[in-house]
Amino acid sequence: MSEGAPWDRRDFLGAATLLALCIGVPVATVRLSKLDEDDEPSERVRDMMAEVTELVIPRTDTPGARDVGTGDFVILALAHGLSGTKAPVASGAITPALSSFMRRDGSLRYLPWLERTLDQAANGDFFRRTPAEREDILAKIDAAAMAPGAPWSPWVAIKGLILTGYYTSQAGASQELRYELVPGRFDPDLPLRPGDRAWSSDWTAVEFG
Amino acid sequence: MAEVSTQFDAIVVGSGITGGWAAKELTEAGLKVLMIERGRNIDHQVDYATEQKAPWELPFRGVGDAEQYARDYPVQMLNRHFNEFTQGHFVNDRENPYQTGQGTAFDWFRGYQLGGRSLTWGRQCYRWSDYDFEGNKRDGHGTDWPIRYADLAPWYDKVEEFIGVSGAAEGLPQLPDGRFQPAMALNVVEQALRERILAQYPDRLITIGRTANLTQAKEGEGRGACQNRNICARGCSYGAYFSAQSSTLPAAMKTGRLTVVTDAIVERVDYDATQRRVTGVRWVDRNTGERSSASSRIVFLNAGAFNSVQLMLNSASEAMPNGLANASGVLGTHIMDHANTISALAMVPGFEDRTTYGNRPTGIVVPRFRNLDQLDGDGFTRGYSFQGGALQGTWTRGKRMAGIGQGFKDELQKVGPWTMVLVAFAESLPRARNRLVLSKQTDRHGIPQLEIHFAHGKEELAALADAKREAGAMMAAGGAQVIMGFDQPNNGGTSIHEMGGARMGHDRGSSVLNRWSQAHDVPNLFVTDGAQMSSSACQNPSLTYMALTARACDYAVRELQAGRL
Repeated sequence: MSEGAPWDRRDFLGAATLLALCIGVPVATVRLSKLDEDDEPSERVRDMMAEVTELVIPRTDTPGARDVGTGDFVILALAHGLSGTKAPVASGAITPALSSFMRRDGSLRYLPWLERTLDQAANGDFFRRTPAEREDILAKIDAAAMAPGAPWSPWVAIKGLILTGYYTSQAGASQELRYELVPGRFDPDLPLRPGDRAWSSDWTAVEFG
Repeated sequence: MAEVSTQFDAIVVGSGITGGWAAKELTEAGLKVLMIERGRNIDHQVDYATEQKAPWELPFRGVGDAEQYARDYPVQMLNRHFNEFTQGHFVNDRENPYQTGQGTAFDWFRGYQLGGRSLTWGRQCYRWSDYDFEGNKRDGHGTDWPIRYADLAPWYDKVEEFIGVSGAAEGLPQLPDGRFQPAMALNVVEQALRERILAQYPDRLITIGRTANLTQAKEGEGRGACQNRNICARGCSYGAYFSAQSSTLPAAMKTGRLTVVTDAIVERVDYDATQRRVTGVRWVDRNTGERSSASSRIVFLNAGAFNSVQLMLNSASEAMPNGLANASGVLGTHIMDHANTISALAMVPGFEDRTTYGNRPTGIVVPRFRNLDQLDGDGFTRGYSFQGGALQGTWTRGKRMAGIGQGFKDELQKVGPWTMVLVAFAESLPRARNRLVLSKQTDRHGIPQLEIHFAHGKEELAALADAKREAGAMMAAGGAQVIMGFDQPNNGGTSIHEMGGARMGHDRGSSVLNRWSQAHDVPNLFVTDGAQMSSSACQNPSLTYMALTARACDYAVRELQAGRL
């Protein structure tokens, strides 16, 4: 999605339509209710998500996460509670650093948490850091959250949604990886050559891999 | 109340795996049949709306709207085949409530539409053997089956040939071979594990899943060969897997003797106490609430095990105050569902330079090896079997990996490592305490909801404990490294093999149905879905339901022709 499109505060449908136009989702199939005010992202948060997704999956010889609108997908996904993000956080996992982002129902406001966490790590405005510094900041957050035995972190769900958003986009699924809806046959034993890309259309692998 | 004036020979309640078979067999025998389906119509090919869609063409990329799911599909969303592509083939839980008893955790997965769960089923087709039909008699759980393998073998032949089952003949007495289409292939890792495990455990065989996916087209029936997409539950316009839409319904329609009514919830079977016969059924239109009825000479219940029982309980009358055909008092009792869990998830090193092409729509099976000729189970007397397979990972493994940036992206571009999964399905013992009753709560049409009381017992837990140990041992024999495994069962219902409640048996005092799936108390009433099961074996049950249905239809037609019904 291009930068700077205004977010419709009253009705998410406007943004959904825009999202649909940008990533090729037929508008008619987008069925969205209004977002809670809670979930309405500021322009800064939209920019932040676009930047964060691009830091995770940058443009290479194939499009990056920003190119395919992954940031807005993550915002949509968090607003609708994908990957359990509207479920109450286990009480044992709520640290002082998380407690100010809790909703009354025990779920977490992921976007404000991420915004604050990035700014704190940046000692100020995340966007005033150089691209290399931003990458370094996010890499540290990622390493801490993904380490074996790490305490619960909201980053794990956000990262998962970034990957979902990117690898289920047309470019992520069919340019970065391979997508074949109708293989037509099954070959049980083939050589795997260096450079062979993974399948986004291997549904069992998507589920269990 | 509107009355359908046509006189039908038979009414079939339900249009799924067994309802389709009943309609086909009865119409082909010359009967005029009314099929009543509670859900919407789904036309083969034209109504598979998401079949060709890519994830990027759906608003939630195939994952689905979790907010909507929490509201409308809190149970169905737990099904691993439920997603944004397939959600239209599952019930709205909010509109179709059920109750559970104290201490019961039961996930009831349902598809209320023409074709029922034949659209979304796992397609695994396994014959039972006499180890299964004699199981109740051998250890005293449940009641003895009034039939044996020889009674069903010719009907298995008939069903397999018509629906098309691909599989490999292995000559195992506990899992009899069938009339198979050519087998799908084991992949390179499964083949290697088969050989390595057999070398150490000659009684444990990895064989390809026997699946109702065609490896050879059935052109005469308009069914194409499987395209190895593995998206069956969206609906398949090739007609390559068995569903009522692809197979039995077209055959029944071709006779010109089938009438189908959809959106019609049958709430009652009418019973005439003076004649000791059922006379027809009553239903409510799920959209308009209008009530209708129709009459027939015989009635087949194929609403799905639990709903057929619900219908019989709800058809209590002055003459039969405890439910239709329930003189025995066992209607609703002895329900079962296989206890399942992931026994082993293992990494398989040594195949880093091998891969596959295409999405095979079946996994592997390791047939039962416990409690065959010798009772060798530790704390259990029945069987379990494994299903699963070997696969290579894809991008989703990144959700568990540290890293960001180009190196991370490049890593996820690679085909992932090989893993092997073994899921155990353990036989569920028939127990009187596991039962269905009518709840005091009603649905929006005023029909009593079903209340499910169910818990696995110590025998199932012992079987799953053994399965975890043995899966680990087999993986070690295969050179694989177990990452995790479980021995506690998932919730009841999650095998989607719920069955029993109107069991077959030798006598009317202790069973609902006789050896022909015919009610002891009401000779023109047949129940040929999962409700009729007296034990559960550990195989996927649908093939057996279909064979029993075809057999019951043959019997019913002969009895009708002889003037005895």
